[in-house]
Amino acid sequence: MEHKNEQPNEAQGHHISSYKEHFSTLAALLLLTVLTVAVSVFGADLRSLSVATALLIATIKALVVAYYFMHLKYEHKLYRWLLLVVVLLFVLFLVVTSIEYLNR
Amino acid sequence: MEHATGLVLPNSGHNRDAEASKMGMWLFLFTELLLFGGLFLVYMVYRMLNAEAFLLASFELNIALGTINTVVLLVSSMTIAMAITAIQKGDRKTSVLLLYVTVALSLVFMVIKFFEWSAKINYGYFPGMEVYQNLPAGESLFFFLYFFMTSLHALHVIIGAVFIAVVIYRTNKGFVTAEKYTLTENAGLYWHLVDLIWIFLFPLLYLIH
Repeated sequence: MEHKNEQPNEAQGHHISSYKEHFSTLAALLLLTVLTVAVSVFGADLRSLSVATALLIATIKALVVAYYFMHLKYEHKLYRWLLLVVVLLFVLFLVVTSIEYLNR
Repeated sequence: MEHATGLVLPNSGHNRDAEASKMGMWLFLFTELLLFGGLFLVYMVYRMLNAEAFLLASFELNIALGTINTVVLLVSSMTIAMAITAIQKGDRKTSVLLLYVTVALSLVFMVIKFFEWSAKINYGYFPGMEVYQNLPAGESLFFFLYFFMTSLHALHVIIGAVFIAVVIYRTNKGFVTAEKYTLTENAGLYWHLVDLIWIFLFPLLYLIH
């Protein structure tokens, strides 16, 4: 098992994630899933709050998958910048469209 | 390959570039994100316009089955990530076994999805059916989006499973090794995208009450 966490900008995919790391990632994702279902089932009266928490938890889960399972954490930082640009572009679509519809 | 000038390029047929291949996969995944992003945008707008109807319609979905499918996809994401670890360590047998588990889990996901769809179709919620036609406008929109988004996602599940099957074949043939595992990595990236999309579809369709 080799860990080169100190060198995340390594050009080739030298980093090998351990089985244990993948297992911990899964455990975190399952925990977040239980949490989001619980908020939805038991917090049904807090409507807008449950929408916000569901989306927040989904975003955290997505980042965990991208960073650990998709190795984004160990890739060249260009990948993280590209992802940020794409996500910001999409958020811009959402915001502009919402403003348009909310002002009708 | 002949060159009229007699010039021989330094790169003589070995065009393997793991980094470029991976970057290509990521760029493709970005287009996939925006494809589903467009659908999420449509969902957001219709939800703003039909908040109550979306709420009522979403109660028709089975949270238990949705949760099980979420767990199935998360576990399959882990198994394919582990398959990459295995091949990086040169353990071809374990890698192939984990890839088989991933394909098996994709089948479990599809079977559960099939039962969910059948139940909804039996109620007549599929676009074009009589019950669907008589639903209030907002509720039929919800079911339209439900079927559209989950089936587009399911299509990706099937493509991902076929992709992984190809990786199993290539690994068994010895084309994928501890030094040359880009194919496994790219299949993994694609499969994680399938998981990522579901991570957002699940709360938006099943949980947001």
